[in-house]
Amino acid sequence: MKKFEDILVQCIEDIKAGRSSIEDCLDRHPSMREQLEPLLRIALEIREAPDVKPSPAFKIKARVRLMEQIHGRQAVTKWPWSRYNNQTKTIPLRKRFSMVGVILAIVLTLSAVGGGTAYAAQGSLPGDVLYSVKLVTEQLRMMLPGNDVARAQRALSFAERRVGEMEALAEKGRPQYLGLAVGGYDDAVNMTLARIERAGDKGLATGNVTARVAEATTRHLSVLDTVYDMVPPEAKEAIAHARNVSETGYFHAMAALAKNNTVRAAEMNLAAMLGRLNRVRARVGDVEAVENALQQFEAMAEFGEEISRIAQEIGLNITKVEELVALATSKHLEELAEVWEMVPKQARPAIERAMANLLIRHQRRVQALEQWGVEAPQPPVIPGRIRERVEERIREQVEGIPGGTTPPTPGVPAGACHQYGLNATGEM
Amino acid sequence: MYQNRSEGQTSDEAMLVQKAIGHDTEAFGRLYDMHVDRVYRHIYYRVGNEADAEDLTQQVFLKAWQVIDRYKKTASPFIAWLMTISHNLVVDFYRTRKDRAYLEAEVLADGSASSPERAAEASFEQQRLRKAILQLRSDEQQVVILRFMEGFEFTEIASLLKKKKGNVRVILHRALVKLRNILEKERKQN
Repeated sequence: MKKFEDILVQCIEDIKAGRSSIEDCLDRHPSMREQLEPLLRIALEIREAPDVKPSPAFKIKARVRLMEQIHGRQAVTKWPWSRYNNQTKTIPLRKRFSMVGVILAIVLTLSAVGGGTAYAAQGSLPGDVLYSVKLVTEQLRMMLPGNDVARAQRALSFAERRVGEMEALAEKGRPQYLGLAVGGYDDAVNMTLARIERAGDKGLATGNVTARVAEATTRHLSVLDTVYDMVPPEAKEAIAHARNVSETGYFHAMAALAKNNTVRAAEMNLAAMLGRLNRVRARVGDVEAVENALQQFEAMAEFGEEISRIAQEIGLNITKVEELVALATSKHLEELAEVWEMVPKQARPAIERAMANLLIRHQRRVQALEQWGVEAPQPPVIPGRIRERVEERIREQVEGIPGGTTPPTPGVPAGACHQYGLNATGEM
Repeated sequence: MYQNRSEGQTSDEAMLVQKAIGHDTEAFGRLYDMHVDRVYRHIYYRVGNEADAEDLTQQVFLKAWQVIDRYKKTASPFIAWLMTISHNLVVDFYRTRKDRAYLEAEVLADGSASSPERAAEASFEQQRLRKAILQLRSDEQQVVILRFMEGFEFTEIASLLKKKKGNVRVILHRALVKLRNILEKERKQN
C-alpha cells in the first residue's frame, strides 16, 4: 500500500499538470479524503513568487563589485595585466629577474623580427598573423614606468583599439574573430577601472581620467550599436556583451567622477541619455533595439539620481545639478513624445514608462528647487493621446502595479497622478 | 514564469559553467547576467525588503565563485545550486539576527511599503501564506519554496538537499501539515 505522503505528492503533481482535479484525487482515495483535502488546498494555494526584479542600476553596480572582488581574490587570473601588477609587489627577487628575462626575450624577439614588423602589427586585426605581436607590445607598454593614472590611460587606449577592431572586423565581414576583440575589450576596461581605483586609494587625482573613461565608454556604446546592427545573428551576443562592458565601465567611471566633479558627471550623464534617445530615433522601426536603448536610458536616468545622492552625501551643493537635470528632462520628454509617434505599437509601453519615470522624478526635483528659491523649468506640453497613456503608467507606479520594465519609483505619494504635471485639461 | 529549470541547462549555459569552473571570470559574469534576476526574486521573497535582498544577492554570487569547484560534484542545474547558496545565506541572515520579531516586522511591513515591496504582494492571502511559510523549519521552507514557487522537480530538490526522494516527500507532508496548523491558529485568533 502506498504511503500517505506518496499519494499526497502524486495528487499535487497530477493536479498541477492538469491531469486531474482535487475532486478526482479525493475520489481515488476516499479513506484519506479528510486528511488529503486541506493539504491539497494549501499546496495549490502556494503560487510562484511574484515577479520582482532588481533595478538595472543595482545589477550593474553589483556586477562591477563582484568582478572587482573576484579579481582581487583570484589566485591565478586569466587577466594578464593584473597578474603582472600583483607580481611586482609579491614575487621574490630571483623570480623577478627571471621575469625581466622574459621581457627582454620578448623585446629581443621583436627586435629580431624587426621594428617594421612591430609597427606593421599595430594595424593588425584578430585572426591576422601579426595580431599576437600587437598584443605583446601592448603588454610591454603596460609594464613601462608610470603611475596608476598613466597606466589607466594606457589601458583605456587599448580598450579604444579593441572597439576599433570590432568595427573593422564587422566591416570586413570577419565576425568569427569578434570574440577575441570583445574579450580583450573586457580585460582592458576592467584594467582601466582597477588602475583608477588603485590611483584613488593612493590619493592621486583621478578626475580627468575618470571623465575620459566616461566619455570613451559613451562613444564605445554608440560604435558598438553600429557594429551590433552590422554583424550576423550568431555574433550579436558577443557584441551585446561588449555593450554591457561599456555600460559597466561607464557607470563605474561616473560614480567616481560624481565625487570629484558632480556637475560634469551630471552633464555627461545627460548627454549619454540623449545618445540613447538618438539610438531610439535611429532604430525607430526595430522594437528590440528601441527597448534595449530605452532600458539603457532608464538605467542612466536612475544613475542621475545616484549622482545627486553621492554629491549630497559628501556635502556638495547640488542646486546646479538639479537645475541641469530639470532642464534636460524637458528635452528628453519632448524627444520621447516624438519617437512615441514613430515606433511600432509594441515599443510604446516602454516609452510611456520612461516618460512616467521622468515626470515623477521631475516633479520631485521641481519641488526641491522651489524650496531652494530657484525657478524651476516648465515641463513640455505633451500631446493628449500620449498624455493619457503616460498618466496610466504613472497610476501604475503610484499604485505599485507590477508589469513595468523597471520597479516602481520609491517614495511616490499615493493618489497623486496630477501632481506630476498631468491634469484633465490636457496641459502639463 | 519558470522556464528553464528541469529541462536542464542549455548548451551555452553548460559551456559557461564549465569555463567558470576553470576560473574564467568572463564566463562567470555571463552566468551572473543570466541568473541575477531569479536569485534576487527568490531572496526578496524570503527577506521582504530591497536593501537586504540586494545585499544577499551580491553575497550569493561571490560565494558561488568562491566554491565553484564544488559545483561539478552536484548533478543539479546551475540555477538550483545558486538557490541552495541563497537559502543558506538567508538562513544565516536570520540566524545572526536571532529575532523572529524582525522577520515578522519585515513581512508585515510589506503591505504598507511602496516600491517593489508593494508589487511583491499579489494579495492578502498570498501574504498570509508567505508569512506562514517563513515560520517553517529551514528544510521545510526550502522544499515548499523550491517545489511550488521555483518549480523544481522532486528529484532535483532531493539532489540539492542531498536527501532521498522519499525523505523530501516526508518533509513536504510535514510542511503542509504545519502550514495548515499555522493558518488555522491564525484564523481562530482573528
